[in-house]
Amino acid sequence: MASLRDIRRHISSVKSIKQITYAMKMVAAARIKKAQNKILNSRPFAEKMEETIKNLYMEMEEEDFNRSPAFKLFEKQDKSNVGVLVIITSDKGLCGSFNVNVLKRAVLWLKENKDKETKVIAVGKKGRDFCRRLKGLNLSMPYELVGIFPKAGYAHAKLLAENIFKLYENEADSVTVIYNRFKSMMAQEIICNKFLPLKRRFLEFQNEFGENKLSDFDFEPAKSLLLSSLLPRYVKAQIYKILLESQAAELAARMNAMEAASGNASDIIEELTLKLNKTRQAMITTELNEIVAGAGALEG
Amino acid sequence: MKEKILLSIITPEKVYLSEGKVDFVALPAFGGEMGILPGHISFVVQLKDGFLRYSSGGEDEIFAILGGFAQIDKNKVMVLAEGAELTKEIDEEKARQEYQKAKDALSIKGADIDLDAAQAALRRSSLRMKVLELKSKRKKKK
Repeated sequence: MASLRDIRRHISSVKSIKQITYAMKMVAAARIKKAQNKILNSRPFAEKMEETIKNLYMEMEEEDFNRSPAFKLFEKQDKSNVGVLVIITSDKGLCGSFNVNVLKRAVLWLKENKDKETKVIAVGKKGRDFCRRLKGLNLSMPYELVGIFPKAGYAHAKLLAENIFKLYENEADSVTVIYNRFKSMMAQEIICNKFLPLKRRFLEFQNEFGENKLSDFDFEPAKSLLLSSLLPRYVKAQIYKILLESQAAELAARMNAMEAASGNASDIIEELTLKLNKTRQAMITTELNEIVAGAGALEG
Repeated sequence: MKEKILLSIITPEKVYLSEGKVDFVALPAFGGEMGILPGHISFVVQLKDGFLRYSSGGEDEIFAILGGFAQIDKNKVMVLAEGAELTKEIDEEKARQEYQKAKDALSIKGADIDLDAAQAALRRSSLRMKVLELKSKRKKKK
C-alpha cells in the first residue's frame, strides 16, 4: 500500500500539471480570437481579387489566354514524374490529434503516389521532423518553413508560394496541400487539395447578370500580362488563407486538448485525495486498535 | 457638392481604408505615376512599389504600397496591394536600422543566409526610406 507521503507527492505533481495545462488552454483561448480576426481580415482581399481575375478572364479570347504565361498555372504541358506535397502542421505539440491527423493523411497520399518522386515542403516543425524520419521512400525535402506560428503573416505566405512556384515551374507537375481547416471551435477538418494546376472551373463562371463588368475598362499593361501578374498574387492570397486556417485550427485543437487534460487532472486529484483520506483513516483505526488492545492486556 | 472618389485600400492582412471619400488619388502605376480625379475612365492597372498619395479636404496622406493592382470604376478606386503602410506610422529610426541590417545581410553573402528573405527585407526597407525622404522634403517646403 502506498504511504501517505507518496500519495501527497503524487497529488502535488498532478496539481502542477493541471496548472500548466490550464494556463496553456487560456493562452490558446486568448490567441484564437486574434487568429479568427486575421482570417476575417484576409477575406476582402481574396474576394476582390477573385472577382477581378474572373472578370479579366471573361474579357480575354481563349487563344490569347492559351498563349499567355498565366496559362501554365492551369495546365501543365509536359508531364513529369514529380509531385509536390505541402504539409502544414504545428511547431509545438500538446494539441491533441492535430498533427497526427495531417501526418496520417500524408502517409496515405504517399502510399497512393508511390511510383512518383515526391518533393515535400514542410510547414511546421512536427511535419518536418516526421518527414525526416521517413525512410525508404522516393522523397526529398527541398524547402521547409518552421517557427511561423502563431504569427503567420502574408510575408510567410509569399515566401512559401515563391518556393512552390519554383518547384512547379522547374520539375513538378502538381502541387497538393494537406492541412487542417478551421471548421469550428470544436472541430477541425483535414483537407487534402490539389492546389496546382489551378482548376479551370474556377474561371468558368457566368456573371449573374450575364454581362461583364470590365467590358469598357482600359488596362495597363495588356490584359494577358495583367492576368499573369495577378494569378500568382491570387495563389499567394490562397496560401495565406490556408496558413491562417491551420493556425486557427491548431489553437482550437490545443484549447480543446488542454481543457480535456485539465479536466482529467482534476479527476485524478479527486481520486487521489479520496485515497489519501482513506489511508489516513485506516492508519488511525489501526493505531486505536493497537492502543485498546494494549490497554486490555495491561488490565488483564 | 463636389464629386468625391471612394477609395479603398485593401491588403491581405488588413483593410486600411474602406470607401473613404477623397478628392484626388495618385497611384504608383506600372508605367509611371497616375493621378485620378473624380470622373476618371474605368481602368485596371498594375502597381509597382511606391507611394500612394491622396488628399481629402485639403489634407494630404501618403501610403507606402508594395506591389499590387488597382481597379478604377465609376469614382470608386479599389487598391489591392500586397503590403501597405501609412507614412505617419513608419518609425524613422527603426526603418533606418532595418535598411542597414538588410544591406549588411546581403553583403555578407554567407552560405547560410536566406537570400530571398534578405532581398525582400531590403525591398521593404528601401521603400520606407524613400517615403521618409519624401516626407522630410515636403516638410522643408512648408
